[in-house]
Amino acid sequence: MEDISSRLAAYLAHRIPAASDIEITGVSRIPGGASRETYRFVATWKESGRPVRRPLILRRDPVSSLIETERDIEFNAYRAFHPTGLPVPEPLYIETDVKWLDRPFIIMEQIENCVAGSPFRLDPYGEHAEKIGKQFWFHLGKIAAADPEAIGFETGMESPAPDECWRIELDKWEKVIDEDELVPQPVARAAIRWLRRNPPPPAQKISVVHGDYRSGNFLHDEAGDIRAILDWEMAHLGDPLEDIAWAADPLWAFEHPDKPGRMIPREEAFALWEESSGLKIDPVALRWWEVFNSLKGLAIWISSGKEYQSGASTDPILAMPSWYCTDVHNRVLASRLAELSKEARR
Amino acid sequence: MKPDLPIVMRGFFGTMLTEIAPRLNAEYSTGSISIMSMMLYLTAQEYERAAEVRVTDNAEMRALFADAVRLVQDKSLKARLEEAAGTKDRSLLVSALDEGHAALSALLIELQAHVEESTAPWAAGLEARIWDHLLASTERRRLHLPVTG
Repeated sequence: MEDISSRLAAYLAHRIPAASDIEITGVSRIPGGASRETYRFVATWKESGRPVRRPLILRRDPVSSLIETERDIEFNAYRAFHPTGLPVPEPLYIETDVKWLDRPFIIMEQIENCVAGSPFRLDPYGEHAEKIGKQFWFHLGKIAAADPEAIGFETGMESPAPDECWRIELDKWEKVIDEDELVPQPVARAAIRWLRRNPPPPAQKISVVHGDYRSGNFLHDEAGDIRAILDWEMAHLGDPLEDIAWAADPLWAFEHPDKPGRMIPREEAFALWEESSGLKIDPVALRWWEVFNSLKGLAIWISSGKEYQSGASTDPILAMPSWYCTDVHNRVLASRLAELSKEARR
Repeated sequence: MKPDLPIVMRGFFGTMLTEIAPRLNAEYSTGSISIMSMMLYLTAQEYERAAEVRVTDNAEMRALFADAVRLVQDKSLKARLEEAAGTKDRSLLVSALDEGHAALSALLIELQAHVEESTAPWAAGLEARIWDHLLASTERRRLHLPVTG
């Protein structure tokens, strides 16, 4: 880590001309999502004669990742939401010049003394499950309620027509499956056909969609307060129900859909979201987005499996979901689609 | 006596998770070891059933195709269903079974799409039968994670 420490110090000297005696300590790569390399470190320096200490996070573009993501989207999301009071880290620098760290990167505030609950544990939030669950759905409602233009989220982003949100997302993820499937996928293909035959009603509002809002993608402290919502690299504009369906997907709840993310009951969660967002959940539309999100999950796991199989990456974080998560989403989708098939034939 | 592979894999899982991972200083490496140990736990399940799952899947699809031949009118699809129904697994190597499974699955996708569009009296029954197979197949492949707090 010595090399990266000195290079980070050089970069901060470039960014903060008034700083002197810059020191980088405690550089450690952390499991901060599969989409990019994440390091924590502490930067100290002197500025106007006073000592400054800043715990920071470096997110560097990967050589290979689960999904093709854009660092600009993630940075822009933090920049848009940080002033709104939503718990997100303060974004500091975005850098595309590879002379500094070989690959583009962003640097942001490190939220200290917090943990992320694993979605693959039976009881990831323990005694704080209810408290965290309420905040989790409240914050998601606030993301849906935000005006994307007013908070500056829309920069360079195309706003879809309300009746096109579903098609844009379905086209995008079908293409991932087309390009990355290693073997034919009967359940995924049946899902795609059902989704195209049964489009949802138009979105009631074009919102910021986080794209990966789920247990495991936020940090909470010992008191059970959510301190940072992370992993915004799949954020886009679209139907706010998309995020609800992903957050409530059975995969993140040990397949117990009645208690999304093993936090609070589904009905309570959805009522909190409606109250916080001022929007309504149309059950027919939500059903479409639930089927879609399990398909989107499959697409991501199929893509990660291809990355590993092709040798593009040997990171086990890419291999594990292609086994376990593919298995869950195939089973969840098969069960749901078999019922929908019977319903359509009645 | 040789210890059975599932026992060895589950043993490795426990050792990696409880003895090796806590002694690592690098956070990312600790995470990687945890994932790898989890995959050894899953490997224990997959090793035991790998051939059985694939042979059963392939047999079910062939039986389904044999019945569909009597119902489907489309000549080209009918011919391919008949041919696939008559194939056999030539080896019990997992890679060979997977190759056969992929070919049968591709035809299953085509058959299912065809049946979904059909209003013939037999279509609902065949569609339900395809789903019964997919439900059973996905259930056969269910992986169990170790239960941790």
